[in-house]
Amino acid sequence: MKEITVREFFDARKKDLALSLNTELETLNKKITSPHVNRPGLALSGYLEVFSSGRIQIFGETEVRYLQTMRDDTLYNRIKDLFTMDVPCIIISKGLSLPLIIEHLANDMQIAILTSRLSTVHLIQHLIRYLQDVFSLEKTIHATLIDVFGLGILLTGKSGIGKSECALDLVHRGHSLVGDDLITLRFIDEHLIGKSGRDFGHFMEIRGVGFVNVEKMFGIERVRRSKTIDLQIELMPWQENLDYERIGLANTYAEHLGVKIPIIYLPVSPGKSVSVIIEVAAMNMILKSVGYDAAEDFNRRVQEEIRKKSMMKNTAPITSKNNDDTLDKG
Amino acid sequence: MTTRSIKVENRLGLHARPSALLVKTATKYRADFFIERGGERVNGKSIMGVMMLAAEHGSELTLIADGIDEKYLIDEVVDLIQSRFNED
Repeated sequence: MKEITVREFFDARKKDLALSLNTELETLNKKITSPHVNRPGLALSGYLEVFSSGRIQIFGETEVRYLQTMRDDTLYNRIKDLFTMDVPCIIISKGLSLPLIIEHLANDMQIAILTSRLSTVHLIQHLIRYLQDVFSLEKTIHATLIDVFGLGILLTGKSGIGKSECALDLVHRGHSLVGDDLITLRFIDEHLIGKSGRDFGHFMEIRGVGFVNVEKMFGIERVRRSKTIDLQIELMPWQENLDYERIGLANTYAEHLGVKIPIIYLPVSPGKSVSVIIEVAAMNMILKSVGYDAAEDFNRRVQEEIRKKSMMKNTAPITSKNNDDTLDKG
Repeated sequence: MTTRSIKVENRLGLHARPSALLVKTATKYRADFFIERGGERVNGKSIMGVMMLAAEHGSELTLIADGIDEKYLIDEVVDLIQSRFNED
């Protein structure tokens, strides 16, 4: 399971969250092990039978005011109980402060107390977004990621099949490159987000030419830093008799980090403009997403025609097995 | 050249799924393959063509194959149609 130290979190977010540290530096060594946060209202009232450890504890105005109503010894005991529950740190919102007695205790028990100037709601929203990003599942694959008409298209296929050349063609036609060769996929907010596996910039290797800097060559508007993945297109060498999709009624999916992504197996052969087909696949998918499915429409028309013909037949004189004469005439 | 006449047996006729199965079966062979229905003739390896026949239940089709494996092609397509595309 993933974890980060409070120090890493503090260093990374102190500006955005307007954080300051109220305890000694050594208190920053505890580990955050959960992407969730907790408001410890119930714990402070004494109920600790159900408590998820490893979570950042948020003290909003409610908690701070509640603590102010307590007698010193109760306050001391309740906070001590909370601190023994494997709490990585406490963040107080709105720039509020806690009684000095709590800070002493925190220093003793090596638990950081941070203050943020943000409102509780803002603080929690920021924290969840940050923690989700840190704790998200991730994997790196050999692929190319491009943005075609706003759809994130993951190009996969064996080395040398022409992923980079195809992406270059698409960039040349006005689409944008997210990354080539190594793509890191992350599961964030129920979506699959892809970005370049390396922060080296938007380079590509084109066989016969060498390295190409897409951003320098085509401009900043033709590159993206990350993109939600909507469709995967697997390029494969043309094979006769292979079962390619002919109609588009069957939906096949690839799975990455538990997310199902529609996949198209695209045969590549000389003389086929793969980039045009990818544009068409993207547009077809956009049409589907707004409710128009060409395959369904065409099939509906065929079925309508079939129904008409069947009805015409049924209105002809009724024939029975014993009546061969009428059968012949029909 | 091998020619065979056959009736469409499945209740819903040659809509998308059966047409796709038929085309997929025919494309496995090297022979040219055509389907005729009431004077209309389409390429049996083209999904668009086969669907546009809009062949209903009971309609009569003529299967025409021409090539080295024509007999096998016709046999398998006939089997498929007679099995009602595993539909009804």
